[in-house]
Amino acid sequence: MSAPEPGQRPGRVYAPDFLTELFRNPLDPGYADAAARRERSPAPQGWRGTSARAVAVVVLAAVGFLFAVAYRETVADEPSRSQARAGLVAQIQQREAETDQLSVRADRLREEVGRQRDAALSGSQAARLRNLEAGTGLGRVRGDGVVVRLTDAAPKDEDAVTGDSEVGPDKVLYSDLQKVANDLWASGAEAVAINGQRLTATSTIRSAGAAILVDFRPVTSPYEVTAIGPGPMRDRFEESRSAYLMRRVAKIAGLSFQVRDAEDLTLPAATEPRLRYAEPSVSPSPSPSGSGADRSSSPGPTGSGTSSRPSGGVR
Amino acid sequence: MIAVLALLAGVVLGIYLDPTVPAALQPYLPIAVVAALDAVFGGVRAKLDRIFDDKQFVVSFISNVLVAGLIVYLGDQLGVGGQLSTGVVVVLGVRIFGNVAAIRRHLFRA
Repeated sequence: MSAPEPGQRPGRVYAPDFLTELFRNPLDPGYADAAARRERSPAPQGWRGTSARAVAVVVLAAVGFLFAVAYRETVADEPSRSQARAGLVAQIQQREAETDQLSVRADRLREEVGRQRDAALSGSQAARLRNLEAGTGLGRVRGDGVVVRLTDAAPKDEDAVTGDSEVGPDKVLYSDLQKVANDLWASGAEAVAINGQRLTATSTIRSAGAAILVDFRPVTSPYEVTAIGPGPMRDRFEESRSAYLMRRVAKIAGLSFQVRDAEDLTLPAATEPRLRYAEPSVSPSPSPSGSGADRSSSPGPTGSGTSSRPSGGVR
Repeated sequence: MIAVLALLAGVVLGIYLDPTVPAALQPYLPIAVVAALDAVFGGVRAKLDRIFDDKQFVVSFISNVLVAGLIVYLGDQLGVGGQLSTGVVVVLGVRIFGNVAAIRRHLFRA
């Protein structure tokens, strides 16, 4: 870099470090050197001077070219980015629609299977099977019960600086839904559904980022936990820990929490549970009191064979 | 005056020709722009200081762009990613800022 400035006190000459020099004298020292050289010897005239000027002009044109190209490049990048995003969103929606279609189809097929099975079975066996299916969440059920409605609080004013609107516990959490569902079961509910998603013994209520997933399907506010159960279920639930907690939370945080009686609710069947480890070890004809007996006589899948539960109850 | 015209001509040329930048060169484009900005502002300041020199300008532009590109390339190869180019941007940014401040003092005496 350049020599220390002449204004500095003699004897205390520190070579300025790079950053100090950078801040103090941002201009390329080459310009000053060139000027000093010109002082000593006159600037080249004629051919050399003109060619240098021409080259400078060309370089300036190149700079302009560079700016234009970079600008176009940046602008061209933008739509491709938002396009990719829109494409992903469309894909998600399409897959969701496909899943819905497939699950509707599965439901239809399951109903058909149930009908066929009913036709094949004797009356009492079919009735028992239906009861088991209803109890385990694999069959559609109807009856009277309660509806617990939880709603996120109205969005607060966004933080003007950070744009963050997720400050404070003004949202229903997945654990709230879990507690409510569990207390409904504890209060005697025989069938529970959240926003039309029937809960079974293997259902999950979890959070993934800002979303709540019930059996891996997203649910959004307002959340309606519907339960079918005996008459005193509502009173029992109202006295439960989660109802107490949610009333407190609702009062403090501005969520809404309502419990109401509802008549003639219809809860859909849950989707068939995917068995990962267990294998059904019973024959297609479920016997009421344990399948161990007729397993030997049926060409059922060869599993561990320890399950003694009827097929409707195998989870 | 000629300089401004040349700059505008370059811009027009860039828009008119609409060249596609090869993907391998794309990471160097932003840093090259910053380096070019530094050279341009340095040149403008030198002009106002009445010490502008054509050769110096040409050399500073070319070396700025090359060194900046080299540093980005090195950063890529060393696996430090964008950090080295951050260094380039900081240094050139400081220089641009200082030169613009000097230009401002020249133009507005403030």
